[in-house]
Amino acid sequence: MNRQTLHAAQALWLPVLLVALWWWGSAGSTSIYFPPLSKIVALTWEDLVRGPLPGFIAFSLGNLAAGLALAIVAGISLGTVLGWYPLALRLLDPVLQFFRAMPKVALVPLFIGALGIGALPKIYSIALGCVWPILLNTIDGVRGVEPGQLEMARAYRIPLALRLWRVILPAAAPQIVAGVRVALAIGVVVMVVSEIYGAQQGVGYYVLNASRAFDVAQTWGGTLLIGLIGYLLSTSFVIAEQWFLRWHYLRARVLGLNA
Amino acid sequence: MKDPQVLRAPGDAAPTRAAMQALVVQGLGKTYGEGAGAKVVLRDIELRVEPGQLVCIVGPSGAGKTTLLRCLAGLQPSTTGSISIGGRVITEPPLEIGLVFQDYGRSLLPWMRAIDNVAFPLQGKGMAAAERLRIAQDALQSVGLGDAGQRYPWQLSGGMQQRVAIARAIAYQAEILLMDEPFASVDAQTRFDLEDLLLALRRKLGISVVVVTHDIDEAVYLSDRVTVLSGTPASVVETVDVVLDAPREQIATKADPRFAEYRSRIMRRIRRPEPTAVSREQP
Repeated sequence: MNRQTLHAAQALWLPVLLVALWWWGSAGSTSIYFPPLSKIVALTWEDLVRGPLPGFIAFSLGNLAAGLALAIVAGISLGTVLGWYPLALRLLDPVLQFFRAMPKVALVPLFIGALGIGALPKIYSIALGCVWPILLNTIDGVRGVEPGQLEMARAYRIPLALRLWRVILPAAAPQIVAGVRVALAIGVVVMVVSEIYGAQQGVGYYVLNASRAFDVAQTWGGTLLIGLIGYLLSTSFVIAEQWFLRWHYLRARVLGLNA
Repeated sequence: MKDPQVLRAPGDAAPTRAAMQALVVQGLGKTYGEGAGAKVVLRDIELRVEPGQLVCIVGPSGAGKTTLLRCLAGLQPSTTGSISIGGRVITEPPLEIGLVFQDYGRSLLPWMRAIDNVAFPLQGKGMAAAERLRIAQDALQSVGLGDAGQRYPWQLSGGMQQRVAIARAIAYQAEILLMDEPFASVDAQTRFDLEDLLLALRRKLGISVVVVTHDIDEAVYLSDRVTVLSGTPASVVETVDVVLDAPREQIATKADPRFAEYRSRIMRRIRRPEPTAVSREQP
């Protein structure tokens, strides 16, 4: 068994075991709330191949992408300004802390009420939920730039725009990316919740619709599907992060630090 | 006499600027804070670096040498007195000065390769990529790192990183190099190599160099002139012209009896910091 196979086996043994246990444990189930896994999978598969799911997934993920993109742009821009100018941070801090502590999902009905149903209120809700970890991590990242690097840039008369692009943001990048990783997880939650009120498509709507119709198998299926989507997004993100911050991880390895 | 505008040594592709302007410090003082709690760090510093000269500033740790260098680099304003280059008073980091920090680990950018680090100040000047990379490659060549351009700083040893920092200052076409204890963070053997590299570069490029160091041997070995800083607040207690055979050589120069006399004299001066008028004596 080569190394790749070994690592794959180490990672997959538990999920495979759990699924197998569930499958055979629930095989003959007549319980309303715990239908056989085989039935859940069959139903979900049916909806994926012939049913509305692909369109729903595209809708939800599209909103997530748009909301996350909005949050990244707003969070990094504002975070850089606040991290760079301590006065600005002091002036805005109480408001920031207030919004940070508020459960953003509580605002979703407000957005729906103001903007109606459709994609836009969902995108704004996701953006509002996602922006906080990105904003706060950007502030910390910018404040934490090595003074030696900033001094060097000053001593060599590097203009501000170049300083921002090639010194400040790369230095803050590990922190910012960590913030985006958290934001992604939050975004998936808000993405689903935003479809509970006034939605006509999307994976959240699919689950809600199924539960209202007491189609328990479909409810299970939709929920598992959402979990799987979240997991795949998270894993893809980690892979992308390893590439994007490769200088950071390679350096940590060379210097013997904990990355 | 060298052509003052452009200096080309054999094997050089890019011209570098030989020093033409003198760095003059007059009555420089630096005080932190105000009123009763004010801390006077520097008092009445007089310093003069002629074009092409190598001057070392020595003094005990904490004497204020780094503060002085930061004022010279335009990173910090002085409280009193002035710093001028070629007669022009400087108030912010001037174009003519290239700074080499003590802690190369914190001044080289880890997300850029060595050659991009060296070219970065030129990018700041708005130079096009092809040209600045060419100049950067030449600068790396002149510090003996012609093959290391594609590596990241954290893949290089301490001595090599410091050489990259020196190459950066050279590529910037600085005519005055300011170095803050540049060799303090490397091992002794590497230190000798870097000292000789500095002397060779000074000879080849005709630049002026100011080195802050606590190492008296290093100061005597490198300098045309040593400025001794001592006392609290720090002031110039003596300026010693070092007259030793050129080119300096690690073994021969240090075996010269005059070397030891310069060293003892400076060490004594640091321990008994009664300020005297600027004196130029031969031992």
